[in-house]
Amino acid sequence: MQKYNENTKKRFVLLQSAMKGGSRVRIRSWQVGVGLASMFLGMLLVFQLRTETSIKQNLPTKNVNSLAALINKLEADRVRLEEEVTRLRRYLRGYDSDEEVQSLRMASGIYPLKGEGIQVTLADTSRELFPYEDPNLYIVHYDHLELLVNELWAAGAEAISINGERVVTQTGLSCAGTTILVDTKRIAPPYIIKAIGDKSTLKAALTMPGGYIQTQILPYELGLTIEEKFQLYIPPYSGSLVFEYASVVSEEELEAALLEEEKVRLEATGDSRFSTEGSRLPFGMKGGEGK
Amino acid sequence: MIIIPLLGAACGVILALHLPYQIPITYAKYSALAILATLDAIFGGLRAQVEGEFIISKFVGSFFVNAGLAALLAYIGDLLGVDIYLGAVVAFSIRIFRNLSLLRELIFNKFHYRR
Repeated sequence: MQKYNENTKKRFVLLQSAMKGGSRVRIRSWQVGVGLASMFLGMLLVFQLRTETSIKQNLPTKNVNSLAALINKLEADRVRLEEEVTRLRRYLRGYDSDEEVQSLRMASGIYPLKGEGIQVTLADTSRELFPYEDPNLYIVHYDHLELLVNELWAAGAEAISINGERVVTQTGLSCAGTTILVDTKRIAPPYIIKAIGDKSTLKAALTMPGGYIQTQILPYELGLTIEEKFQLYIPPYSGSLVFEYASVVSEEELEAALLEEEKVRLEATGDSRFSTEGSRLPFGMKGGEGK
Repeated sequence: MIIIPLLGAACGVILALHLPYQIPITYAKYSALAILATLDAIFGGLRAQVEGEFIISKFVGSFFVNAGLAALLAYIGDLLGVDIYLGAVVAFSIRIFRNLSLLRELIFNKFHYRR
């Protein structure tokens, strides 16, 4: 208590002298310690606050619901518009019965088609996975579909659809998070690929030993069935067929343009021996020699 | 006496506003602990000073040991997937409140008995 009184008195005197602007203010260790700690605290608070505000700015969690509502609305709109497109195309069909137009329309995918072919069903593995197995390998990815479709085209398929979406020349498959997109349509497993064509040829192409299915699908135990069908129905393409950037050129214009390109390329390469091969050969290899 | 921490904090805030640093999100947990540890040290130091037994080495030592232990707990918690750092947060909070109440008591006594 004695010490405490002494201390307070001393401090009080010091404080008074400091208030009067006295020159004899001794800086004490506690003042340094606590002062520095407080300064540190102030700095930390500012830094932390900055982090928190930047988190709030970067993750607008409030908007999630409104975005979801917007997506739903837009999807409903799209379904409505697609129905309209289908209706109008059906209406249009009455106007031309020319054979060439007919086959071009079949090729472009705007007619629903039927015919014999095969139906491939692909699904994620149904087996319980062991802990050491990578689940990523046992689910269907968009490239599975892409490559299967490719195999089918290569085997002479005439029309293909995936889960009711017609695959046309401009169709792209992509991966968006946990779903697969065909053009802009989201599809979910099981993935059913229908292909019109010679059914035994198509099936043989898929099940070929050492082929894509045997090497890339069966080892991962994905659920796969291939059925031969006498009658398959393939729906029309529902997307847009508007060309915004491309325009038609005449044969002569194309010839001239290609010739010009060839000339520029020859000048750039400088060596006619390489350029006449039509493809670039790796360094050190000469066209037409070897083998 | 109360002016020192306020002054220090003001200095720190002004200084920090002029510095471009920002704590990465992954370390936000640690800096929160550091804030608590500094608050604890400030109140502890003030109390010790009022009690007349402030020793700078003890002050610095306890600050670093406490902060280090808290950081270690947070790190282990991260490794184990359990929020052990909450334990450190609770412990610091309790200490802060205890120091604050002791400080209040001491200051109250001081002014009360002087009259």
